[in-house]
Amino acid sequence: MRNQDANDEMDDLIRRSTQVEIPAEVEDRLQRRLAEFRTSVEQRPPSRWRPLAYSLTRLPAVRVMAMAAAALVAVAVGLVVIPRESTASRVYAAAAQQLRNSQSLEYTIVFSELPYVGVDFSYAAPGYQRVNCSWGIEVRADHTARKQIVLMHLTRMYVVESGKQVESPANSDDWVEQLESLPPAADQVLGERRVGGKRLIGYRLVKAPHGTSIPGLKSFDLWVNAGTRQADHVDIAIEEPGKPVYRMHIRNIRVNGQVDRSRFDLTPPVGYTMITASSAKTRASETTSQQNALVLQAQIRQAAAVTAVMLPMTGSYAQTQAASERVESYLKTIGVTPVGPPFGRFESEQSWDTGYPVPLATHVEAPFQLVSVPAAKIASVVVNGPWGPDSTGRWSAFLKSVVEQGYLPAGPPMEIWSGDDAKVQTQSTEMQIAVTKAK
Amino acid sequence: MNGRHKEYERLIAPIEGRMMRAVWRVIRDPNDVEDAFQEALLTVWKRWDRICMHPNPQALVLQICINSAHDALRRKLRQGKWLEAGVIPEDIPDSTRSAAQDISGAEQETHVRRAIGLLPKNQARAILMHAVEEIPYGDIAVAMDCRESTVRKHVARARAKLRGLLSHLIPAVHKEESSHA
Repeated sequence: MRNQDANDEMDDLIRRSTQVEIPAEVEDRLQRRLAEFRTSVEQRPPSRWRPLAYSLTRLPAVRVMAMAAAALVAVAVGLVVIPRESTASRVYAAAAQQLRNSQSLEYTIVFSELPYVGVDFSYAAPGYQRVNCSWGIEVRADHTARKQIVLMHLTRMYVVESGKQVESPANSDDWVEQLESLPPAADQVLGERRVGGKRLIGYRLVKAPHGTSIPGLKSFDLWVNAGTRQADHVDIAIEEPGKPVYRMHIRNIRVNGQVDRSRFDLTPPVGYTMITASSAKTRASETTSQQNALVLQAQIRQAAAVTAVMLPMTGSYAQTQAASERVESYLKTIGVTPVGPPFGRFESEQSWDTGYPVPLATHVEAPFQLVSVPAAKIASVVVNGPWGPDSTGRWSAFLKSVVEQGYLPAGPPMEIWSGDDAKVQTQSTEMQIAVTKAK
Repeated sequence: MNGRHKEYERLIAPIEGRMMRAVWRVIRDPNDVEDAFQEALLTVWKRWDRICMHPNPQALVLQICINSAHDALRRKLRQGKWLEAGVIPEDIPDSTRSAAQDISGAEQETHVRRAIGLLPKNQARAILMHAVEEIPYGDIAVAMDCRESTVRKHVARARAKLRGLLSHLIPAVHKEESSHA
């Protein structure tokens, strides 16, 4: 009590000693400074990079629409900075040309490993795009019809935009225009590196391409598979004065692969509410949707290490059940009994896997893999009900609860499915994600 | 009305007065205040995009202003330009006080601001945002990009340091000291 009094007294003393009004003459001068400042702010050119990097390192705090826009900017910038043809290296030239002329393109931008913040991007000519963010926002666009849909899975809402509204930074014309301003050659050859049986050659750009703005760009390293001459991944480092270096990665790059066309479907999912243009209506639908939003309470605990037989997959998560059945049937063939229910790890639609926990001494053959899932601090929640439906909505609610408890995701999402596949009422899904305490 | 205009209206216009006051309260020198305020505005301009995306942009802007004012105060202390205790500043704005009150009040203000100038940056920032600007701990933590418990520690340490520097101005400390004696 005495301490509290002393604190109050001290605060009061500081307050009394500092709370004075500004003399009119001084205020006039400061007002003039403010007016000048206002003018410079209003004339400030729009920045496309800094807000993106900043907002994406923070989990879905509030403004989902702003984040969706930031994700689109990210995708545009990601493509813009892909280096173009260089006479110095045929490998580089082949990779760059393939990227420029690609009829379809997929990749994952990992903005942060810790917490895990990633965006899956898909493009198919002539103008179909999809951006799927790890925090529950998905944008599907058809630029041929000048139409796009923004899905907000947490609140189960969507926005349909058409005509001029679709002229977002993700517009493919915009990319082409900016690709033309890329440097003709990489600044530096980084040498070779062997990763997972692939021979990769690295090329570095140290300056943003002419006409584009990437404040703080320290390096942009494109690694090309020397065998296939295709871009393998990109490591980007950004350094702002007084800040630690910020690193992001573009991974799982697939050029001219078969893209699942359902990803570009502009039909809103069942049960989603449309946000109308009128702000009044928007507020009303937000309220309704928030009432309908799923609430999950994540439990934080230590998970033991697990050895599992997994089947690596790419493409739609809709293949999960079939992939899991394939692993089950393989295990039967080799006479191994699973020691737990099946599970899947969903890093991105370009790289995920599913399988069963098995005894340590199990031996498997390709395409199956024996993997060790290390012990980790995790957040988990069990949701009773049929496997699969509304998985994205559940994940958004789950991650929200994780963040609210002061933790941040530190790995890809994982699902463990229990129950009988023939009896829906026995089914449950445990959602798990490695976490770390938020600083 | 462009996007930047809207951003300004949303972020800065509502706190223009608070920004000016935050700097003036710490500096209280008509010559230095303009430089410190300009420095704060420059920082805000440089970090504009980040501020726009910040979960509590207004707390961040106020923190920048306080920071800039505290830097100016420290500079003044380092350069020995500080008015010695007892010298009355030229501007004594509250006309309702008596001359004697003015003298002792001005003396006290000088002591307090000098003591704040001697605090480490984070402690000064935290105590000024908490005690003067009355910003909740949670918002200060967001603005300072640290945990709420860290802000509380900074404030507690600032108070402890100020208590040592200003013991002659605080009755509670006086009483405690007398009772120990």
